[in-house]
Amino acid sequence: MDYKYIEQLLDRYFQGETSLQEEQILKAFYAQGVEEMPEELHRYASLFAVMNQREQLGSDFDERMLQLIDGQESQQEARTVELNKPVKARTISLTERLRPLFGAAAVVAILLTLGNAINASFKQDDTWIDADEYANRGAVQVDTNEPAVAYEGISDSLTIVKEGLRVSTPPDSLSSGGIN
Amino acid sequence: MKEISFRTDVLPLKDELFRLALRITLNRADAEDVVQETMLKVWNRRDRWAELESIEAFCLTICRNLALDKLKRADNQNTSLGDEEGGGEEPADRSYAANPEEQAVQRDRVEQVRRLISQLPEKQRTCMQLRDIEGKAYKEIASVLAITEQQVKVNIFRARQTIKEKFQQLEQHGL
Repeated sequence: MDYKYIEQLLDRYFQGETSLQEEQILKAFYAQGVEEMPEELHRYASLFAVMNQREQLGSDFDERMLQLIDGQESQQEARTVELNKPVKARTISLTERLRPLFGAAAVVAILLTLGNAINASFKQDDTWIDADEYANRGAVQVDTNEPAVAYEGISDSLTIVKEGLRVSTPPDSLSSGGIN
Repeated sequence: MKEISFRTDVLPLKDELFRLALRITLNRADAEDVVQETMLKVWNRRDRWAELESIEAFCLTICRNLALDKLKRADNQNTSLGDEEGGGEEPADRSYAANPEEQAVQRDRVEQVRRLISQLPEKQRTCMQLRDIEGKAYKEIASVLAITEQQVKVNIFRARQTIKEKFQQLEQHGL
């Protein structure tokens, strides 16, 4: 056996330079027996022993696998049958169709009712009055509670009338004497 | 175009997928679950098989992603990976019966190497798994991991360098 060649191969193997074929040679070399080789080569015997060991699955694996796949197959068939079943058209009444909207409608109705009720109660407190009534009430209030203000208001308007009259009458010597 | 059948094209990938999942989850039961989920997923996407460049790369990609998911969930549940590793790797050894005598002699060392590989970052571990154990070309590995070929090479180089260093350290400690 040419150990030199194997040593060389081994060196190149660890450098990652061997081809698949050369690696096969190395494996084959170590597979045929390791008793009488130099120490330098014997050292790596266990490494190649590991490489030559090929763990295998139990022999029952094939059967289990095929069963699994058959199981899948029938499941899938069942599914396709399910999918291919003719679909019957269902008749849906209008009420049934609108049923999902009933809740929303109820909520809207409740909100509107509540809103109106609250609105009405606020207005009844103080603001539910006509504009005319408000004006009257204001006038009455001014007359009864504040006589001074009312008097002032009236005298103001009277002054305005007086001024208006004075402006509208021309300063005529004849008529001025008459008026005064 | 060749018709892809689950029985002849996908199912035979189970051991390869299992090993990849095992490298990532470090737990046999989890890895088996991952393979099952992967195959179901692949089966459910059978309408797209014809568009695939490689059903194998497709399966490996899904398998890796599911295994990473599982790992993340396991992390979230605060299960210690160390515990799982111990429990998960041993039955893996027993299941390998091609060369029992040599295996008995080397069991300790092999166990040690497994632990070394398990300690590598996930990307390096996956690259190494696909290259050194499954014998995949850089290009295939790149498409499974969705990285460039150059990155695959770098990952494999680093993984091998780390392994080599660890071996040398073990040797020194051993002497």
